[in-house]
Amino acid sequence: MSRIDNLPTLPTAVAQLSKLIASPTASAKDFEKVIKPDPSLTANLLRLANSAYFGLRREVTSVKQAITLLGNKRVFEIAASAGFSRVIPSVLPGYNIKSADFWLHSIAVAVLAERLATELRIQVPGLLFTAGLLHDLGKLAIGSFLADEQGALLEKLKQQDASFSMTERELLGTDHGEVGEEIAKQWDLPEAVIWTSKWHHQPTKVDENIDSTLVDLVHLADSVAHMFGYGADVGELARSIDTSVATRLGFDVHTIEFVGGDTEEQIREMGEMFKS
Amino acid sequence: MEKLLTIDIADIKVSNDPSVTLVTYALGSCIAVIVFDPVNRYGGMIHYMLPFSTKSPEKAAKNPAMFADTGIPRLFEQMYALGSKKENLVVKVAGGGQLYDDKGTFNIGKRNYTVMRKMFWKNNIIVSAEDVGGAKSRTAKLRLSDGRVTVKVKGVESVL
Repeated sequence: MSRIDNLPTLPTAVAQLSKLIASPTASAKDFEKVIKPDPSLTANLLRLANSAYFGLRREVTSVKQAITLLGNKRVFEIAASAGFSRVIPSVLPGYNIKSADFWLHSIAVAVLAERLATELRIQVPGLLFTAGLLHDLGKLAIGSFLADEQGALLEKLKQQDASFSMTERELLGTDHGEVGEEIAKQWDLPEAVIWTSKWHHQPTKVDENIDSTLVDLVHLADSVAHMFGYGADVGELARSIDTSVATRLGFDVHTIEFVGGDTEEQIREMGEMFKS
Repeated sequence: MEKLLTIDIADIKVSNDPSVTLVTYALGSCIAVIVFDPVNRYGGMIHYMLPFSTKSPEKAAKNPAMFADTGIPRLFEQMYALGSKKENLVVKVAGGGQLYDDKGTFNIGKRNYTVMRKMFWKNNIIVSAEDVGGAKSRTAKLRLSDGRVTVKVKGVESVL
């Protein structure tokens, strides 16, 4: 695939943090040094960190405090979320999704993936929250493949009863998974994000050397999020659910219902942040 | 001027203001029960997520609208509190969708529907119209000035 142009850029701090998280020698101070110079990133990071989901007993007011209480990995995940919230356009070209709905869906998938893992007693694979949050990264850039026919994808999705990814491939020769993989690479994001972006609609196709649990969990969380109406877009239920995921993860409808009810308040709290 | 009153996920709202239109968005597997009292032009709506509160009693205590078993009775109670009588209420239902090729793993939409039907059967409540099931996400509206209910799927609105 050729390079994707006109792509919103993630704050440079997030790419730098992405490198730090991969480095075994990076210290809390290194993290702080990268985040602190970006005041808007810092502000959003602190708002997210203080939401009920992250379970802090007292309010954090500085990056340093957040790192001390939550650790480097969690702070990276929150910083990536805060950075991502800034690059979502007010309406996603091609899909006509409003930024508030896209953000709500992204947060819902991140939270549901983690909580489903906990409920299913699966050890949470590295950076699951971030992989869940950024799974639809490709949707940010699909618009650039549509050129002058911005309405074409939406029209086709409305008419057809086929799955979302199938319609994208038919019309564009690619889908938001493939595009997401490319963006994640351009943005220097961790491998967990790259693989999840690419395979979250086809979890059985994951390369053998990759931990498929991460992709399975995001695939499941994505479907559950759409079922509960977190983030409206045309054709959101017109998606294939890979039933082999149920076998691999071992869940049933009761687990999904329990997690759905248990996370509603936390998803809503974070989903309503950054509304412009 | 039409005033829009939004019912969120896991939420109930009733109104006795005839200029109000109740609306709820993105009903996937969730269900909206929509009630209208044509005598007084009062209306109400619940958007519930889940069938049963049994495993989450604290959640149900805090927000009964999350579950069919605790939320639906609450909707009717709120209508009665406004002054509506049971025999006058017109009940319509939308939602309960499922994923495109779900073979039953994620049958929350169906479970949401079944529990509601049982409750209505026990309580002699007749559903006068419904648009449920399928791989559809719906937006439902109730206009209190005349009780018109519409359901919008993929941008196309139809009267229920």
